[in-house]
Amino acid sequence: MGGNLSKPPRPDKRVPDELVRTAVTLVAGLVFAAAAPRVALAIGESSFFEVYAVEYSGGDPHPRPTAPYRLGWEVRKRTSIEVPLQHGGARLDDPAIYEHPFLYWSGDEAFDELSDAEIAGLRRFVRFGGFVLIDDAAPEQSGFDRSVRRALSRAFPDRPLRELSGNHTIYRSFYLLSRPEGRIRGPDHLEAIEIGDRVAVLYSRHDLGGAWARDNLGSWQHPVTPGGDEQRERAIRLGVNVVMYALCLDYKDDQVHAPFIMRRRGGSP
Amino acid sequence: MNDWAFTLAIPGGAWAAAGLGLALAALLALTLLELRREPRPRRRWILGGLRVATALAAWVVAVQPRWVAERMEQSEGRLAVLVDASRSMSLPRDGDSRAARARALLARWAEARGEPVATFTYGERLSGAELPALAESLAPTEDQSRLAPALSTLLSQEEGHELGAVVVLGDGAGPDEVDPATLARHGVRVHAVATAEDDLRDDAVAEVQADPVGFLRRPARVRVVVRSVGGPGGPIPVTLRRGDEVEREVVAEVPADGEVAVEIPFTPTRLGREVYRVSIPRAPGDAVPENNERAFLVRVTRDKLRVLLVAGQPSWDERYLRAFLKRDPATDLISFFILRNTHDLTMAGPDELALIPFPTDELFNEHLGSFDLVIFQNFEYGPYQMASYLPRIRDYVLRGGSFAMIGGPLSFHSGGYAATPIAEILPVDLPPPGTPSTRTQVEDRFRPRISEGMARHPLLELLPTPSANAEAWARLAPLDGANVVSRVRPEGATLLEHPEHRMASGGPLPLLVLGTAGRGRTLALTTDTTWRWGITTGGQTGDASAYERFWDRVVRWLARDPALEPAQVTTDRERYGPGATVRIEAHLRDERYQPHGEEPVSFVIVDANGEPVAETRARTDREGRAEATAELPSRPGAYRVEARLSGREQAVAREWLIVEAGGDELADPRAAPARLRSLAEATGGTFFAEPEDAPALEELDTTRTRSLGTVERAPFASPWAFVLLVGLFVGEWVLRRRWGRR
Repeated sequence: MGGNLSKPPRPDKRVPDELVRTAVTLVAGLVFAAAAPRVALAIGESSFFEVYAVEYSGGDPHPRPTAPYRLGWEVRKRTSIEVPLQHGGARLDDPAIYEHPFLYWSGDEAFDELSDAEIAGLRRFVRFGGFVLIDDAAPEQSGFDRSVRRALSRAFPDRPLRELSGNHTIYRSFYLLSRPEGRIRGPDHLEAIEIGDRVAVLYSRHDLGGAWARDNLGSWQHPVTPGGDEQRERAIRLGVNVVMYALCLDYKDDQVHAPFIMRRRGGSP
Repeated sequence: MNDWAFTLAIPGGAWAAAGLGLALAALLALTLLELRREPRPRRRWILGGLRVATALAAWVVAVQPRWVAERMEQSEGRLAVLVDASRSMSLPRDGDSRAARARALLARWAEARGEPVATFTYGERLSGAELPALAESLAPTEDQSRLAPALSTLLSQEEGHELGAVVVLGDGAGPDEVDPATLARHGVRVHAVATAEDDLRDDAVAEVQADPVGFLRRPARVRVVVRSVGGPGGPIPVTLRRGDEVEREVVAEVPADGEVAVEIPFTPTRLGREVYRVSIPRAPGDAVPENNERAFLVRVTRDKLRVLLVAGQPSWDERYLRAFLKRDPATDLISFFILRNTHDLTMAGPDELALIPFPTDELFNEHLGSFDLVIFQNFEYGPYQMASYLPRIRDYVLRGGSFAMIGGPLSFHSGGYAATPIAEILPVDLPPPGTPSTRTQVEDRFRPRISEGMARHPLLELLPTPSANAEAWARLAPLDGANVVSRVRPEGATLLEHPEHRMASGGPLPLLVLGTAGRGRTLALTTDTTWRWGITTGGQTGDASAYERFWDRVVRWLARDPALEPAQVTTDRERYGPGATVRIEAHLRDERYQPHGEEPVSFVIVDANGEPVAETRARTDREGRAEATAELPSRPGAYRVEARLSGREQAVAREWLIVEAGGDELADPRAAPARLRSLAEATGGTFFAEPEDAPALEELDTTRTRSLGTVERAPFASPWAFVLLVGLFVGEWVLRRRWGRR
C-alpha cells in the first residue's frame, strides 16, 4: 500500500455550463448511435450483461458513480457482449442480486459491518455462480480494505483471499496483460476467492473505477499515476478482461487444449 | 426314534459346565481338608460323603443335562424320475452318447414299469415328460443343467407331495450343488444313475470375461481361462478374432488336468456392437471341439461424450451451460465463442489481444464427424463465411450426429437460418427470410408450460413423482423472451410451450422441441435464459439442482443414452446354445415417450448380414410392454432381436445376442459321478455308476422317512432335583450341628 494518505480525488462537480455540455453530449451520442453499424440485440432483459452495484450502509458505495456505466460502455464498444447503457444496484440481502450475476462492489472508506442476511446473501450469490468484483477506490487508505476483508472472512471463513497468479486466465481472457493497474499502479497482483476452479470474488486495490470514470462530456475524471493514459488504457483492458472472464471462465484454457483434444479424436457418428 | 443326543442347557455349554465343575471341586477340596480334624472316622466319612453328594447335585442342577431324540415316521412314498436334458448329455461315451445310454435305460424302465411314473427332464428348468416318449426321443438341447432348482421346483409341485424317492439320471455336470438337508426335510431320498465317468480328454476355452462396454481406441483386455483335462497339458495357442480378422494371439501354458488364465489385450477401432471370438486349436483326441471357441460382445463407445459448443457472444446463458458441460468428467468439451465482431473497436493491435480466428474449417470440415453433439447457442453464421459448412452440418446430423440450437437474438430466424440446410434438420419451421424482427422474437417474462401429455417425458422429469415434479417446475424462475417459430414439424415433439403467445399457424409458441433428422437427433430451445434456473432459482429457493438435472437429461437424450431410449428390447441372457429358447421383453414407446399400447409387435431374429432367421409375435399391453419367446438358430454367430411394429419399415428397438456351439454348458464337459454319489449317500439313496447297473424302478427304495418332531428328556429340570439338592445340604448341616461342628 502506498504513499499518499489524503482522500482520493472526487469528480469536480462545479462545472460551468453543465447543461450545455450535457446537451452536446446527447447530440454527439445520437450522431454516433445513428452512424453505428451495430444493432443492440436482445430477447428480454435477461439477455443483457449488466454491471450491478452493491449497496451498503455506512460508507459511500458509489465513489466513482460513472464507473459501472463506463465499464459497460467499454465492454460494449470493444467486444461482442451486449451491455445495456444503464445500471442499477441492490444490497446483498436483496433477492434482486440473483437477477444480475455480476456485482461491482466499490468504496473508499470503512463501512458498517454487513448484517447476517447480507453475509448469507453474498454466500448464496457466489454459491450459485455469481461473480463479485470488489474495487477499492481508496487503496491509499485502509478503511474500505479492512471492512471488505472483515466481511469476506465472515462470508467465506474457510476460503481466505489469495493472491491471483500472474498467469491466470483473467490476464488473457481478451487482452494480453501482464499485471493489474488502475488509477494507481498499486500491488502487482489481484486477490481472489475461488470456488472450485473458478474465481468467484475478485479484489482489486488499484481503483479501477477511478481509471474508468468520465464525466458527461467524456473527460476523464481522475488522473492516472504514474503511467498516464497508457496505464488508463491497461486499466480499461483489465476491466474488459474481468467481464470476459466472468462470462467465459477458463474458456481461454480450452483454446490451449483444443489441438490436443482434437488429435485424440477420430471416427464419425 | 433315532439315537439320543446329549446336550447341556447351561449357557456356554460344555465349557461353562467344566468351569463350574472345577470351581465346585476346588471348594469341595477346601471343605474336605477342614474335615480332617474330625477324630471319628465314621462321622468324617458321612459328612464328607454328604458334601460330595451336595456338590454333585448342585453341578447337575446348574448344567441341566438333557437328552434329545427325533421321532421319525416311515411310509411308502411315490417315485419321480429326473433326466438330464442338457447339451453335455450329447457328448460321446464308449462310442455312444451319454444321452443314448440314458435312453437305453429309460426304455428298459418303460418296458418293465406297469404303472405310470412321474417323469421330468431338467436343464435350465424342470419340464414334465412321459417315460416312454423320453425313451424314444430324449433330446439334450438345454443350455444349462440346473439340478438343484429342478429338485426345489419338483418338491413344491403337486407331484412332489408324498414323494419317497427321486431317481436322477444324468452326468452330474452343472453349476449347482444340491443341499441334501433340503431333501431330508421332505423325507426324500435320491437314487442316482451316472451316464458317464469323468475320463474325458478335452481342451477348452472354459471362461471368457470382458467388459461389455469398450472405448474406441482405448486398450481393453479379455480374461480367458483355458482348461485341459485328460491330456498332458502344455502350451496351447489362444487366438482372439474380431469378425474373421485375427486381433492377437498368445500362448497359454496349461498344466496337465488343470487350467490357466491369460489376459489378451485388444483395442476396439470401430464404434457400435463388435463380436469377438476366442479360440484354441483342436488337439488330437479332443472329445468336445465345440468348446474350443467362445464369443463375446463389446459395445464400443467413445470414452467421453464429445460436445462442440459454439456461442455467438458471451452471455450468462453460455456461461452457465459451459460451466455445466465442463464439470461433467464424462464430457469432452470444445467451445468456441465469438468474443469480438468486425465492428467492435478493441483499441489494440492483434499482438495485444488473446483472440484467435474462428477455426471454421477445422471445426466444421476436419473434425465435425468426431463430435457426438453440436450446439449452436445464440449463434449467427452469416458473418463468418459459414454458409458452405451448413450442408456439412446437416449431413452430419442425417448420418447420426446430434444438433441443438439454443435461442437468443442471434439464433433461429434472427440468426439467418431460414431456408438454409440447418432449417431442414430443425424440428421447427422458421418464419420466411425477410420477416421483421418484431415478428420473430417475443420479449416478455413468462413461466413455461409443459405441453399436454408430456409431463412424464424424461427430459422434463426433474423429480420422480408427478406431483413433486410439477412443484419443481412451478418453483423455477420465469424466463425472458423467446424466438418465434412458425410451425412444429410433424416429427417434432413439443415439450415446453409459451403460456400466452401462439404461432402464426395457431398452436402455442413452442419453447422446447425434440426431433429427428435422418439418423440424428435435433433439439430446438427457443429461449436464452435457462441460466436463470441456476442462479435466480438457486438464490430464491436455495436449490439450483433443477438446472443441472434439466441439462443433464437434454445432453443424455441428444447423446442417445440407452437408459433414455423410448423403446427398449432385452433378452434373458447374452449367450445361448444352438437352438436355445430366448425370452424377450420389450417396452415400446414412441419418440414422444407415449406407449405403443395394445399393438401387435413382431420380434425378428436377424443374423449378422441382416437376414431374418426367426420371428415370433406378441401384443403390447397398455403400457407398451410385451413378452415373447423364440427359438434361436443352430448356427453359431451374432444375432440381434428386432422389435417391429406393423406399418413401420424400421425396427423400433433392437438387442444383440450370441449363439455359441459350446457356451457355458460345454465349457466344463466333464461328467461328475462323484457329485451324484455323494448326493445319493447323503440322502439315503443308492448310486449306480453305470446305467446298466440300475435295477428296475420297482426295486428302488421309495420309503418315505419323515420327522414327527423331537423328544427331550431333562431329568434334572424338575423341582424334585432342587428339593434333593436342598435336602442334601440341610442334612449335612443338621448332622454337623448335632456333632458339635460349626
